[in-house]
Amino acid sequence: MIPSERIRWLAALAVAASLGLSVAAPAAAHGPDPVLGGGRFSQNEVLAFRWRSGAEPPSAIKTAIRNAAADVGESKASQAATFAYSSTGANPIGYGTGTCGVNGIGCFTRSAPDSFTMWLREHGRVYDWGTLRWCQMLTTLTNGCYDAETIALDEFGHVEVLDHHDNYADDSDYTDAVVQTFSRTRPKTGWNMHGFGPCDTATLQVQYDIPLASSPVSSCLDLATVLTLGASSTLLGDGGVVTFTSTLRTITSTAYGRLSTQWLAKRTVRLQQRPAGATTWSTIATMTSGSPTGSYTASVALHTTADYRAVFSTPTTEGLRGDTSPTVGVDVMPCTYICPLSVEG
Amino acid sequence: MAESRWFRRAGPGVAALGAVALVASTTLGARLAPWQPPSCVGVPHVAPGPSGAWYRIDPTIVEGARTGQRLTVGSASAGLAHALDLEAESFAAGPFGGVVLSGSDDGSVSQLSLIDIAAGCAWTIDRSGDVIRRATISPDGATLIEFRVDRTTRADLGVWRRPLDGRGDDERILPPIDPDRRFGPTWLTELSWSDDGSLLAVQSCGEVSCRVRWLDPRTNDAGIVRDPSIGDLVGLTRERLVAHGACRGLPCPIRSVDLGSGTVATIVAAAGQATLVGTDDRPQVVYELDPDGSGIGSIEIDGTGARTLPIDRAGRRLVAGPDWAGSAAGLPPGWVAFGPEGRLPLAGPLDVVLRRITDGRTVPFGEVPR
Repeated sequence: MIPSERIRWLAALAVAASLGLSVAAPAAAHGPDPVLGGGRFSQNEVLAFRWRSGAEPPSAIKTAIRNAAADVGESKASQAATFAYSSTGANPIGYGTGTCGVNGIGCFTRSAPDSFTMWLREHGRVYDWGTLRWCQMLTTLTNGCYDAETIALDEFGHVEVLDHHDNYADDSDYTDAVVQTFSRTRPKTGWNMHGFGPCDTATLQVQYDIPLASSPVSSCLDLATVLTLGASSTLLGDGGVVTFTSTLRTITSTAYGRLSTQWLAKRTVRLQQRPAGATTWSTIATMTSGSPTGSYTASVALHTTADYRAVFSTPTTEGLRGDTSPTVGVDVMPCTYICPLSVEG
Repeated sequence: MAESRWFRRAGPGVAALGAVALVASTTLGARLAPWQPPSCVGVPHVAPGPSGAWYRIDPTIVEGARTGQRLTVGSASAGLAHALDLEAESFAAGPFGGVVLSGSDDGSVSQLSLIDIAAGCAWTIDRSGDVIRRATISPDGATLIEFRVDRTTRADLGVWRRPLDGRGDDERILPPIDPDRRFGPTWLTELSWSDDGSLLAVQSCGEVSCRVRWLDPRTNDAGIVRDPSIGDLVGLTRERLVAHGACRGLPCPIRSVDLGSGTVATIVAAAGQATLVGTDDRPQVVYELDPDGSGIGSIEIDGTGARTLPIDRAGRRLVAGPDWAGSAAGLPPGWVAFGPEGRLPLAGPLDVVLRRITDGRTVPFGEVPR
C-alpha cells in the first residue's frame, strides 16, 4: 500500500467513527480494519463475561472462548479492553440459536462503553452449503471445521470496535487480520489465528492508543513523524561538549485518532554531522532515549564547526515513516578565544 | 375446555386471557411431550383461523451438538400448544392463517408438513429426494414455494413452485443464484413476501452479506439487489427493499433500496433489530434504537417520518422477523409483538404483548384485535 492510500483509509475511519456509522468505510484494499460505530470502551477496561443462562456452550467451546479472551490480552498491542470470564460477569455469551439473524457462524452486540453480548452457533447446525462443525467439538480433527477460538477472537475484535478487514483481491493478506468477512476452515491459511493481526491492532491502536510510548506501532499503519533537534550551545570552544536533544512524535492529525501527536520512545535516532564546507553527512552518535518521553539526547565534544541533524529512519518492523530534523549549526571557536576547562587543563 | 354461558358472554377479551392462561399452564415449567399430529383429512389448505397462531423453533442440543430441532406451535386465542421434534436440518414458516409449514430432512428425504393448529392435525404436502431447505405458501394460499439444494453436492437447485393441493407439477421459477465471491458461499436462503403479498423475496445470504431476488409470480417480473453492503432483509414492498447493512452484529444501519433505480439510502444510521409493519396507510419500519432494545423507533421506508415509540417497561424486546426471533406469530396490520429477548417464549405467549404502532395501545398477545 502506498502511504497516501493509508492516509485516506485513516481519514475514512475517523469520519466513520465521528458519524457513528456501523459498517465499513468505503472499501479500499488492505489497510487498518474499518471501525464500527457506537463508541469505544474505556482504555484497558476489563469486560467480564459469563455464560448465558440456558444457552451455555459445551466445555470445549467454553475453553476456546476463554482462550480467545486470553488471545486478546496477549495480542491487542494497544490499550483496548480485555475480556475475562466471571460467573457474575455482566456480558452474556451464548451458544445456539440466539439472536444472530442470518449471520452464519456467530454474532455480537456492542453497547460501548457499557456492555456487549456474543453468540456462537451450535455444532451441527445445517446451512445451505452443509453442516457447521467446530474443530473443538471433534474427537478426531478433520478438515472443513471452524476453529472456535479464532471465531471468538473475531467476535471479541468486533466488540472492541473492529469491522471486517478489506483484503487484497487475491486475499494474500488474509492473515493480516483475524477480523474477516469470510471465516476459513481447516486447513486453509488463517483458519486458526490465535492473535490479532497487524491490521487489527492498527485500528485498535488508533482507537485505544498504544500501551507505552515505546510500544511498536502496527506495521499496518504508516504514520508520519516529526523529529526536532536542539543544541545546548551553538557557540563553544574547541573540545567543548554540546548536548543535542531531539524529540520524536507522530504528526498531529485527526485521522490518527489516539496516535495523533504520539510521543515515540526507544526508537533509533541518529545524530549526524556535516562539517562546514562538506556536502555529506555522517553519523556520529546514536541518541539515547530518555526523559521526558519521546526525547533523545547525545552529548558530544566538538572540535570543528559543523551542521547537525537528527535522523529517524523508516523502521522495517513498525508503521512509522522516518523523518529528519532541521539542521542545527554549531560554531567551534579556536581556543584562544574560548577554551573549555578540559582543554585548558 | 368446557365452554360456559358466562364464558360466551365475557367476550373475546376474556376468552383470550383464558386461552393465554391455558397455554401457560400447559407449557410453563414443563417440556411438552412430543406430538405426532394425526393426518388431516381432505385437500391441504390454509385454514383461516384461529387468530394469534404462533410458532417457535429451537435447536435440540445434546453435549454441545445439534441433534434435532423442536418446533412448538400454538394459538393464543384457542389455547393450544403442541411440540414436534424435527430433524437437525429442519425449518418452520408462517403462520399462514391458522397453519404452520414445517420441513424436516432425515438425511434421505425432505418432508414438508402443513400443521393445522386448531384442528390438531397435519398434511404431508411434499416429499423430495432433494433437500428442501426452505418453503413458503403464497398469500392466496394456493401455491407452495420451495428452495432446494442437491443432497450430495449441496448445490443450489433454485426455487420451485407447485399447487398446495398437490394437483399439479413442480415448476422452477428461479434458477440457482450465480456464484459471487463478494458474498461467498450461500449460508442461508430465506423466502418471504412483500407487504402486499405480490412479490416473493428470495434472500441468499453469505456469511455476512445478502443478495435478494424478487419475483412477481403473476407476471414473472424479477429483479435482484446484489450490493455487498446489504445484509438481512427487513421487508419488501413493491417499491423498496429494506434491509440491515452487512453487519456481523448490532448496532447496524438500516438501508432502503429503490427497486426501480437501485439507489441505496441509509435510513437509520445505527439500529438494533427491525421489522417491516404493514399498516392501513404506509408501511413502517419499526426498529430498536440500540442493540439492547432500550428504545423503539419507527420510520417510513423512504427514510421520512422518523419518530420514537414508547418502550416496553417490562423489558420485553421487539419480536423481529423469524430469522432473528426463531419464532413468528400472526399479527394484525399495524401491530408489533414484544417478548422476552425478542422471542415468543416457550412458556407460551403469556409474556408476549402486542402494541399498535399508531397509538401505542398495548394488549396481551391472545387479545388479537379484530
